[in-house]
Amino acid sequence: MLDKLFYFIMVPMVYVAVAWCVFWIVVKIVKILRAPTTPPTLRIFPDDKGPEDRNTGGLPAALWDTFTMPSVLKYNPLLWVFLVVFHVSLAVLFLAHLDLLPQVNIMSAESADMIGNGAVGALLTASILYFLFRRFRSPLRELSIPADYLLLFLIFLLFLSGDLISWGNSWSESGFGLAKQDFGLYLRNLFAFDLSDPRQVLDHPHYAIVVSHVFLANLFLLVLPFSKIMHVFFAVPMNALRRG
Amino acid sequence: MDGKMKQELLDVFASKLNQSVRMYMDNCARCGACIEACHVYASSPETRYTAVGRAQNLRRLFEKYHKYSGKIAPWLGEAVELDDNWMKKVYETAFTCTGCRRCMTYCPFGIDTQQFQAMAKAMLIAADMEPKVLSMLADVSVAKGENIEATKANFAEACRQLEAEVIQKWQQEAGKETIPLDVKGAHVLYVALAGKHSIIPAAAIMNAAGENWSLSYFEAVNFGAFVGNPVVTKNIAQRIIDEANRLGVREVAICECGTAYRVMRHMTGTHDFKVITFLQLIERYLRDGRIKVNKAVNNGRTTYHDPCQIARNGGVYEAPRYILSRLTDDYVDTNPTKSANWCCGGGGGLVVVGDKDFRMMSAKVKADQVRATGAKVLATGCENCHSQLSDVNEHYQLGMSVEFVSSMAANALVR
Repeated sequence: MLDKLFYFIMVPMVYVAVAWCVFWIVVKIVKILRAPTTPPTLRIFPDDKGPEDRNTGGLPAALWDTFTMPSVLKYNPLLWVFLVVFHVSLAVLFLAHLDLLPQVNIMSAESADMIGNGAVGALLTASILYFLFRRFRSPLRELSIPADYLLLFLIFLLFLSGDLISWGNSWSESGFGLAKQDFGLYLRNLFAFDLSDPRQVLDHPHYAIVVSHVFLANLFLLVLPFSKIMHVFFAVPMNALRRG
Repeated sequence: MDGKMKQELLDVFASKLNQSVRMYMDNCARCGACIEACHVYASSPETRYTAVGRAQNLRRLFEKYHKYSGKIAPWLGEAVELDDNWMKKVYETAFTCTGCRRCMTYCPFGIDTQQFQAMAKAMLIAADMEPKVLSMLADVSVAKGENIEATKANFAEACRQLEAEVIQKWQQEAGKETIPLDVKGAHVLYVALAGKHSIIPAAAIMNAAGENWSLSYFEAVNFGAFVGNPVVTKNIAQRIIDEANRLGVREVAICECGTAYRVMRHMTGTHDFKVITFLQLIERYLRDGRIKVNKAVNNGRTTYHDPCQIARNGGVYEAPRYILSRLTDDYVDTNPTKSANWCCGGGGGLVVVGDKDFRMMSAKVKADQVRATGAKVLATGCENCHSQLSDVNEHYQLGMSVEFVSSMAANALVR
């Protein structure tokens, strides 16, 4: 029974989660595109821009605002530090997962380490804990809703399960039971729509931890289109509205 | 609330879900970056007076009626049913906010709380719960516009009675009208408020500059914007546009009224004429040497309150500062200033709505800010701000003189 459940999580559920996520992201974007247009302008003017400036920076300024968050830096530097660490680490984490594929060799093919040797996961976990715990303090506590805590907790568990794997491989003598190269084979099979049981390439008692990690990732993908993480797609357009 | 009314309100809610609002509804991370931005919260730290707190009042309705998660697990996003009690929260979103948009400068996404405010105001109008004084003023304004031909003679007579006061500030050359009306081909159409304080200094300044100008028959103030009725807002703005087109003017100069300027300059599209604030016109006259002023007239340290709709939301920062630099040698900026300036607490129609206790409470941070400048004169360029700051001056015993920039300039005119 458990084998079937593990198989479901590791193979069919991954496809379902990815398809679900992509479908609803597209639906969300289409819904917004089909909504009535915004008022003539929602821009605000930086100190050095007058009303005759046709725009206040347009797309480059919106990209700058989105990726450097100058307003957060100005008014809440500590939050800014964690936001930057989190988002940069997230980008590196994405590369690190791509690096698992045998075809991609950012780290050497024989290396047991993920990019960052486990540090990326540590930074992400620390950031997510900061984001979570700051919500327990007033005034943010009064403004937070259950979805905020649950989403952060889900991401925390997702990171932690990934940390156990990468820290095991990078930081312990005996290593995690499964190597980076084993995950590469599993991922390669997924990309190739090879529906064979992943146990064939991930045959170790630590397999349950990998299943947990993939299960949490699936949950995350299922939730993503309905969560505020959709700001990944809308942060730039929203900032563009402010910039005019 | 009966079912029919509820559906009507939900329809209004849905009709306001434009592209920006949909993005704002879904993507706020509730990171709290905006918390410290609001002058109401800074004066009285209650989270319902934060930008995100106000937005949540509507976001919970969105969760309930427009999101699957709100239907499956309403507790996740704290989705709520629309009922009479919740409409009180909607009222809070609309009328504890001045629409100053300072929070936009804090939010990493630039979420515009004024869009939530507009949505809330539309729902209140549909529920007949909006402040009646605002609706009444908007209706009166529209009615006056509709009967303009009948009132033109009276308006002209009223203007004639102001001429002596204009002449006290500036003696017009013989043969020229002191307050010209209906001048075809005028360079400037000046749109004033109903009070003479908005006409006399402006007339003196434009006459001193030798401007070819005409006074509009219409009031600049747009109560449609305050009450949140886009149809009335457009209606009130359109008649000024029509008048400007009929006269063939080059520029429409809006008196010191922030909302009137923002509506005309930034929310009515493009025209054959330019829209400027009267502050920009005075600045130009001074720069071009068309008027001269005597610094000795204005005594004491002077500071300037940037009206939100003219500065942060209108982009006019330097004109008033340039004018004041010509009127005094002792000018000091507020801290924070310009786009970061604290709202006075009177915008969004709050000055008219009449809850003075709330206005004074929410202006504590403003009072502290201007007191810290050590100024004796607090200048501003907006009617709403002037009214509010005058009340703040009295309430917090600031001992300052609250002045319009145009009045200061008119009083200092020399040949």
